[in-house]
Amino acid sequence: MEFRDYYQILGVAKTATADEVKKAYRRLARKYHPDVSKEPEAEKHMKEVNEANAVLSDPEKRAAYDQLGSRYRAGQEFQPPPDWDAGFEFSGRGPSPTDDADFSDFFANLFGHTGRARHGADDFRMRGQDRHAKILIDLADTYHGATRTITLHVPQADEHGRVGVREHSLHVQIPKGVKEGQHIRLSGQGSPGLGGSPAGDLFLEVQFAPDARYRIEGRDVFQTLPVTPWEAALGASIEAPTPSGAVQVKVPGGSQNGRRLRLKGRGIPGASPGDLYLVLDVVLPPADSDKARELYATMARELDFDPRGKVRG
Amino acid sequence: MTQNEIVTGVLVDEVTLTLEEAAQACGVEPQWIVERVEAGFLGDGSVQMTYWRFASHDLTRARRMRQLESAFDAVPELAALVVDLQEEVARLRRRLGSV
Repeated sequence: MEFRDYYQILGVAKTATADEVKKAYRRLARKYHPDVSKEPEAEKHMKEVNEANAVLSDPEKRAAYDQLGSRYRAGQEFQPPPDWDAGFEFSGRGPSPTDDADFSDFFANLFGHTGRARHGADDFRMRGQDRHAKILIDLADTYHGATRTITLHVPQADEHGRVGVREHSLHVQIPKGVKEGQHIRLSGQGSPGLGGSPAGDLFLEVQFAPDARYRIEGRDVFQTLPVTPWEAALGASIEAPTPSGAVQVKVPGGSQNGRRLRLKGRGIPGASPGDLYLVLDVVLPPADSDKARELYATMARELDFDPRGKVRG
Repeated sequence: MTQNEIVTGVLVDEVTLTLEEAAQACGVEPQWIVERVEAGFLGDGSVQMTYWRFASHDLTRARRMRQLESAFDAVPELAALVVDLQEEVARLRRRLGSV
């Protein structure tokens, strides 16, 4: 595990005041915010900045980190000594409201156990903190249900008090019909409780993996369906691949590009299942042979067709 | 050491959170949630206090608002506005997708 220089990440001096830390964080949060940033690897930088801020903006954590960090440089191999944080009391309120499960091993090693029983405080009881993470699934997973594996880095103290990070793999059942943005609550999979109190819960926020074939709005799914010009013009019964399997659909004659065919109830499953919309994409055959060029030339001669009539006004 | 478990969770929208559970999940006091519900920033503001339940959307909004208020000293009104805009950006980006 490498030592992380949180001051370097935020671009502030070790003597920076709380106000300077706050200003640096705000500047970088704007620079790397995934919604607006054009910087490469903005999301990765944002996580680092969030993590650095979670430590340096918290006086208790910063004091403990400073005591430890004076002997290390960024990237240097690092293992926290036993009881490195003796004498510091963490509030146990959680590192930050961001997705703390995404923080680095380094952070988990140092602060993931915040709130654990301190020396002489064995009778202290407190429920463990809830943790948050995102889980990426495919659209097909919500149609059929699935099991996905996530790996969490969990701090754990050995019998000598040395804190290490344990990889904790969870095979999570993805319920059929889950929507983007919904949370799956895993009881007791959050931070451990103190003094025999129960562990917190783990909340997994569901996100769909990007898939250029689909657009999803709530439970409705939109999918492009390529068709030939004659299928669109004359009508046809064609096989369409959908997230729930291939279906036979009737393309009405006289269809234009962009026409939506609604397949009721074939969206994301649920008590009120969504609909699947097949958006027709009329694909022209290439004019790459004498025969194809002749057919296009015949249409040009024989059809009285002016697609720009309406835009001329 | 790697530990493997198969776990089954519950969907927060099927078994919604109580006020206390929502507060715990967001790392705030229940009163923090109450104030923002009463101001119309969370939930629909139309239910009685004793029946308040919170779903995924409320949880996401509340955590975003807490982050903005904490990191930027934003007043709740501004935090709610930013979260509204974030939701609108996400909605428009989905519409800009391939289909």
